Amino acid sequence: MVTPDSKSRRLVFWVLVLFIALAVFPWLGIPVYFVSLLFTVFLYVILATSWNIIGGFAGYLSFGHVAFFGIGAYTTAMMINGFDLSPLLTIVSSIPAGVVSALIAVIVGYPCLKLRGPYFAVITLCFAFVVDLGVKNLDILGGPEGLWLKSMDLPIDIIRAIFFEVMMLIMIFSIALGIWTSNSKFGAGLRAIKEDEEVAQTIAINAPKLKIEAFALSAFFPGMAGGVYAYYLTYIHTDIVFDMMISILIVLMALFGGGGTWLGPVIGAVVLTLINEGLSTFVRAEFARIVYGCLFIGVIIFMPNGIIEFFKRAKGVPPG
Amino acid sequence: MNTVLVVRSLISGIMMGSVYALLGVGFSLTWGVMKVINISHATFGLLGAFIAYTLLHAWSLDPILSLALSAPLLFFLACLIYRFIIVPITKAKEVIVASMIVTFGIAIILENVMLLIWSPDPRLLTTSYTSKVLILGPLYFQYPRLAGFLMSLAGVLVIHFFLKKTYMGKAVRAAWQQPDAAQLYGVNLQRISMITFGLAISSAGAGGVAMAFLYAFEPHTHNLWLIYLFLVVIVGGVGNVLGTALAGLIIGVITGLSFAFLPYQWVNLLTFGLLMVILVFRPQGLFQSEV
Repeated sequence: MVTPDSKSRRLVFWVLVLFIALAVFPWLGIPVYFVSLLFTVFLYVILATSWNIIGGFAGYLSFGHVAFFGIGAYTTAMMINGFDLSPLLTIVSSIPAGVVSALIAVIVGYPCLKLRGPYFAVITLCFAFVVDLGVKNLDILGGPEGLWLKSMDLPIDIIRAIFFEVMMLIMIFSIALGIWTSNSKFGAGLRAIKEDEEVAQTIAINAPKLKIEAFALSAFFPGMAGGVYAYYLTYIHTDIVFDMMISILIVLMALFGGGGTWLGPVIGAVVLTLINEGLSTFVRAEFARIVYGCLFIGVIIFMPNGIIEFFKRAKGVPPG
Repeated sequence: MNTVLVVRSLISGIMMGSVYALLGVGFSLTWGVMKVINISHATFGLLGAFIAYTLLHAWSLDPILSLALSAPLLFFLACLIYRFIIVPITKAKEVIVASMIVTFGIAIILENVMLLIWSPDPRLLTTSYTSKVLILGPLYFQYPRLAGFLMSLAGVLVIHFFLKKTYMGKAVRAAWQQPDAAQLYGVNLQRISMITFGLAISSAGAGGVAMAFLYAFEPHTHNLWLIYLFLVVIVGGVGNVLGTALAGLIIGVITGLSFAFLPYQWVNLLTFGLLMVILVFRPQGLFQSEV
């Protein structure tokens, strides 16, 4: 990416302005609905951007990514209820949630990443169901009743604002990871795997190792986000944090924006979350999902490389 | 161990298994012949079940007879989907993955349309013979299960003989094994694919009615059915009709026995775990694959 210096400096300036504006947003006394909407947008940006590392760059479509989100949520919930954490530690404890998710990704990824194409998609789908049912059947994890979390000893507005900032911070880190991946040797390796795994291995790319690393990284941030989300709701249930629809939405968001680029999933997540929340709130959740279904079909048929490529091509810019 | 209980669960397992087989053959064929993994296969099965439910309550039409109405409808719907959604993606680099995503979309649309029409309440197909039982010594055969079993047996056999004996069926097999050579011999691939897809979806409708004889259903149930589909087809070998039928019976017997000896909520966990294990160790299936 070669850009004139003044142009890139101006871009950095506007991005900073955007982030500062977002950071002060919850302190301005804006109605809760909008704060919580933005919180959801951050959450989906994190999920889609992380999914993109394995799904977009490496081409391994994981249909069970919600499992890592839910595992993070449950890890955090267990930690809060097991130890008496101070408010600050409460926030920090989303990091071990991410670590647990990443570890599980390594364990599950080791056998699963040997499968390709549809088989990988099926096994990840199945994995999400297994984790969901497993948690439901374990009484120490709350079983079918779910888990209540102790909330912090602070006014509700402050708590909400704190979680907002934390979620935003995680989002910034996950986007940074996306940008780094798209410009690094690591990302180039993943792209080579997507193009042709056998050829990639002949040019000294250690495909199994790279895939595991990518899978673990793509599980880490959803785990953290799950932890923060669990605090935010103060109540978690398998039907909420292992909702299959989240898995499917993540895939759609990343593909809608364009998998394999760092910006695509961000745009996909923002646009689709706003459409989803708008339709679910003002019309009906069923209609929102029907629109989603149509988007799935439309994206694959009309813009297989995502909306960014689609508009570039419409403007006559050559792809790449 | 209680022998009667084991034999009873074996029988109920075989009956369940035959239904999985009927639901699975179409899925197996579209995957094998067309290289399309149709995630919405089970959703169409569910649609068949809901149509049967509505006809039963509106005109008290027997669920099996309702197939005479729903099967052509599903066939027609499938042809439309084939023409306008499947054909455009056959040019994609990875057809099979693209097909999964597209049919995921179809499944989501259909699920929510069903939610809007039929609401999320669980339903049962309650016919005049629902509570009737055939008693042979210590063994019980519930009539609805028997109906589902016979229907599935007939369905799988019809599909098997269609593929082995009829010209059209032979063309389907040829298109699967040697697409280019088949075209040289005058097989119209597009037409064959459309008919395969239509038949697969119609058989899904029949499978859905047979499933509805066994279990309660609601618009989300297809997620669970989908896992059974994958299990049956992957165990049986993709595109293998008799393999799928045999796999259906095996899975049915396993679930039948686990229903008898495990708490209910562990059965599905066992099934899903089994699919993961089989995928890791033998993704090509347990039997040699052939149409």
